[in-house]
Amino acid sequence: MRKSHPIRRVVLATAATVSGVVLLLSLKPASDPAAASAAGAAPQQTAAAQEAPQGGQQGGAQDAGASAGTVTGDAAQTQYGAVQVRLTVANGKITKAEAVQAPKGGLSDQKTALAVPKLNQEAVAAQSAQIDAVSGATYTSTGYKKSLQSALDKMKASSGSSSGSSPGSSSGSSSGSGAAQARTVTGKAVQTQYGTVQVRITVSDGKITKADAVQAPKGGLSDQKTALAVPKLNQEAVAAGTANIDAVSGATYTSTGYKQSLQSALDQAGG
Amino acid sequence: MTTTLAGGRAARRQTMRRIRPRRSPAVPLLLAVGAGAVGVLWLWWHNTPSIADDNGKILNAGRITGLLAGYLMALVVLQMARVPALERRVGSDRVARWHAMSGRYTLSLIVAHVFLTMWGYALQAGKSLGDIVQQTIDSINQLPDMGKAAIGTGLFVVIGLTSIGPVRRRLPYDTWYHVHLLTYAAVFLTFWHQITSGNDFAVEPTAKTFWYGLYGTVTALVVWYRILTPLRLNLRHRMHVAAVIEETPGIVSVLIGGRKLHRMGAEAGQFFRWRFLAPGMRFSSHPYSLSAAPRPDMLRITVKAIGDHSARLRELTPGTRVWAEGPYGALTAQRRSKGKVLLVAGGVGITPMRALFETLPGASGDITLLYRANTTQDLALWGELAAIAKERGARLMYAVNSPEGERPDISAENLQRKIPDIDHHDVFMCGPPGFAQSVYEALRGAGVPARRIHHESFEM
Repeated sequence: MRKSHPIRRVVLATAATVSGVVLLLSLKPASDPAAASAAGAAPQQTAAAQEAPQGGQQGGAQDAGASAGTVTGDAAQTQYGAVQVRLTVANGKITKAEAVQAPKGGLSDQKTALAVPKLNQEAVAAQSAQIDAVSGATYTSTGYKKSLQSALDKMKASSGSSSGSSPGSSSGSSSGSGAAQARTVTGKAVQTQYGTVQVRITVSDGKITKADAVQAPKGGLSDQKTALAVPKLNQEAVAAGTANIDAVSGATYTSTGYKQSLQSALDQAGG
Repeated sequence: MTTTLAGGRAARRQTMRRIRPRRSPAVPLLLAVGAGAVGVLWLWWHNTPSIADDNGKILNAGRITGLLAGYLMALVVLQMARVPALERRVGSDRVARWHAMSGRYTLSLIVAHVFLTMWGYALQAGKSLGDIVQQTIDSINQLPDMGKAAIGTGLFVVIGLTSIGPVRRRLPYDTWYHVHLLTYAAVFLTFWHQITSGNDFAVEPTAKTFWYGLYGTVTALVVWYRILTPLRLNLRHRMHVAAVIEETPGIVSVLIGGRKLHRMGAEAGQFFRWRFLAPGMRFSSHPYSLSAAPRPDMLRITVKAIGDHSARLRELTPGTRVWAEGPYGALTAQRRSKGKVLLVAGGVGITPMRALFETLPGASGDITLLYRANTTQDLALWGELAAIAKERGARLMYAVNSPEGERPDISAENLQRKIPDIDHHDVFMCGPPGFAQSVYEALRGAGVPARRIHHESFEM
């Protein structure tokens, strides 16, 4: 029964909420102290997931010993679009798997962003097409497995017992030439506010045939952003052949770091 | 002489033993709500290592408002789940006011959350604040469950608009009520985007489990107390209209028969939400207080014909089935402390006071009822009040307008003159808002502490 003061209450609630939120936001540091110290450990994880033990880390030394070849599987049609898998093979082992085509548009973008990195990891880990479908992306997973199987078939047919001394590149979808000597160059690690970005490119005939991030921001929000942005940046890098690529919206810092590292890799590749 | 004195003391002691004051759990409940909010903010704090720039600040402000809105929304629904601890201990009126307040606040947080998040996304995509509409459309198209969330948010806005004072007063009660029921749909629709797009729930499985637990608990309470409990109550007690009695011009009592009505646990001062299964009345339920202590075979409500619904009550025919939900309300004997009691009734506000006047524990001279009405003809139930007063040795006073239509002066001085030890009384009050406000001020002026003035008001 105490007198109520609605206006005063509204003003108080608004002021308290706004100042509370502003206070919380201003207490957060602009860059993450934990990420900087963890950056040293993070790349191993990322690398282990996607990468072969070859090359990379020393920063752009050309990898003459174990040259990587790529095999691209047939495109498999799914209800949501085509899936096509490309494998990087070294010494008869899959060192990397990636999707050069995957369903796009609307919901598919998200599903692809979620499913493809997992499928890639599984393919490298399993070294076969016997991989688990990603829940929520069954069609994409099925298409992926089909295309992966066809890539594996091609790999066996072409390299057979090749011990890895010769570059076993057959039907690389963008390099084309069977004789192309693929080499990988790793750009310098670039610090961003969310963590380190480091790009590795595979260069064949002076063209980028493949780009990937050996390091990218991890943890919390960053996981999602990395999963969304890095595949796009990889595609853009291959398509553009230069570091003049568009930033991915929602991941500006990662994009900027990616471009810097890509530029340094291109500089090292001498192209 | 000594025997009567001793007897008097013993009787008083016995009376006092029957008075068991219980504290309202409002304060611990509010503390728990606050602790939950701190937990939600901690979740954000824990999952956010750093904020790089202004864009990040906008997005994170959007996340904070979204998390708080999601948390509070569950509580806004919980407040209307008719949980007995809230309805009978805190008081239905107070909980309804909390609900209105927190509902408005939560809706503001939702609007802020949508605006900040879309603004942040637009900036991130290299667009400006002006592209916020396009950004919203893009996000609805691209992000999972965002279409549902958009519909739910639209519903929340409509519900909020129909609840603004002037709009609500102009709408028929039933329209407002049924629009308000859409809240359940809106909560359901907006729940999923929190899980699928909320970063904190994607990253923290524990948080996701907690969120499911929060919403699951609220859903269970709503189903239990708003559906199953009334169903059981009505199947068990099978209430019907027994008789309709005109007390004074414009005030009728409805007697309601049923089985084992004393087993419903209703106390004097409480109310039920009544739904009379007669043509035109079936679809709305209204809160009316019991105007007599419940009897095993009979309940009584007394209602003044003000609105459409209350005017129709006099046309009820005996035998009409009655659907009741309750008992609700905390204006009961357990509110008082161990002293004397003054009951103040304004007009038809006599109903709960009449029931309390009969049943409040108290020795002779402990209970006083002050009854305010326009004329002596408007003093409904006067006959039975006089009988109770005589039987209990309670005091009964009335205040009516003078023959010239002058209003009686209920001031601090007059109250003190009539009841010299008024500052040692607990006061129970029921009446129209203006009346209650002026009596409240007079009581405070006469030295009655605020915590001993017990009042129920359904004004928002």
